[in-house]
Amino acid sequence: MIRLSPQMRTAIQRTTLPVLVLLSAGIVLLGKADQLFFDSLRTSVTDSVAPVLDGMARPLNALGSIVDHAKMVVTTYQENLRLSAENEKLLQWQQTALNLDAENRQLRGLLKAVPKTSVSYATARVIANSGGAFVRSILINAGTEDRVRRGQAAITGEGLVGRLTEVGDRAARVLLITDLNSRIPVTVENNVPAVLAGDNSERPRLMYLASSDAVKVGDRIVTSGEGGIFPPGLAVGVVSAADAGGVRVEPYVELSQLGYVLVVDYGLSNALPQPLPMLTRPSRRPKGDTTEGAGR
Amino acid sequence: MTLKVFSIPALPRVNNGAARMLPVATTLLAAVVSVLPVQIPGYAALTPVFTLMAAYHWTIYRPDLLPPIALFAIGLTEDLLAGSPIGVNALLLLLTRVAVLGYRRYFINRNFPFVWTGFTLLAAAAMLGLWALHCMLDLSILDFRNAVVRAALTVAMFPLASFMLGRAQRAVMGTG
Repeated sequence: MIRLSPQMRTAIQRTTLPVLVLLSAGIVLLGKADQLFFDSLRTSVTDSVAPVLDGMARPLNALGSIVDHAKMVVTTYQENLRLSAENEKLLQWQQTALNLDAENRQLRGLLKAVPKTSVSYATARVIANSGGAFVRSILINAGTEDRVRRGQAAITGEGLVGRLTEVGDRAARVLLITDLNSRIPVTVENNVPAVLAGDNSERPRLMYLASSDAVKVGDRIVTSGEGGIFPPGLAVGVVSAADAGGVRVEPYVELSQLGYVLVVDYGLSNALPQPLPMLTRPSRRPKGDTTEGAGR
Repeated sequence: MTLKVFSIPALPRVNNGAARMLPVATTLLAAVVSVLPVQIPGYAALTPVFTLMAAYHWTIYRPDLLPPIALFAIGLTEDLLAGSPIGVNALLLLLTRVAVLGYRRYFINRNFPFVWTGFTLLAAAAMLGLWALHCMLDLSILDFRNAVVRAALTVAMFPLASFMLGRAQRAVMGTG
């Protein structure tokens, strides 16, 4: 240690605090002016803390699933009835989907259309979320080591979660669709293009609609695939309000209950899309199939 | 709940290395805890500001062991982890130190309700400042009710944090 005189030492101690305050204010302004400046610092810090967060998030997840199990035990009969009814409906949809698929292939063949690209997924666990309502993002434990890249979409079985904005080696940040800075090109059910803009509330807004009559409550919102960033057709949400205050969308995904997400790689390979695994009727011996198919 | 406090003129010298690290370690832990994904609906938007509680407690009782440079580093780490604009939490914690140091003598020999009241004022000012700062950075008026509820939750969680920090302080630093 350098030997400092007592006056020097007190002088340093007195000025440290104001200097650091000014430095922080400067960093805030610099960070806002030049977003990329601190990106590498951000990714290296999240990479180093990711294992700790991952370790701490596991018991929380376990706790959440214990509570879920308890709830399931209590509501077993109700759930059983509901699931049987849903299963019947889904089997009908499966038939419809298979018919549409066959027709689609025929028509594509007739048109000599370019074959669709295949999509692959990487599964990641949510290890952190942002505190406070001024930023809506989560950290996931997938990084470049897991072949995940910036700009890819994060989804769950229910719908779109958000988009990867910063990717480190072991962790990545996902900007949720509800965040103020999130802008996602979407289409309303009847092919009306729009942009889904978050505003840090639970229900993002639909902007740049050609006319507000084109949309009514209950319409489905899916990604449009514009710009080639997201695969088209990803379920986003449903219109919950369409009045003078603007059009609001309720996301399909329950963003506060995220445990795992899938990161979608809209690959550029020319492989044919994988066939959907068949749902089995409950009366037959179940083969343990899941309904997770390759996306299109 | 009365915490045994140090007399204002001199803070007892702490020679134990682990004890010297306690304030920094607990404040850093508070930063990590504040980004943990708790699956309660709406929690993410209303996470209490745990680092504020830790910074307040340690700046009153052991300001020598939580120096400005540590607050700066922990604030930056919290920003980088949470995804908030970098520097915001650093600024918040440093300004907390500025505010608390000035009025420290009023809190140091008082009982807990008084300390809690002081924290309430600090939390209110902090959330107001955070909200204003984010409005300026995003150039739009953000939802203020959320800031109010978050401040209320932070104040409500303070007794628990203060209790745990006080216990740790007594256990590790060995003063009754």
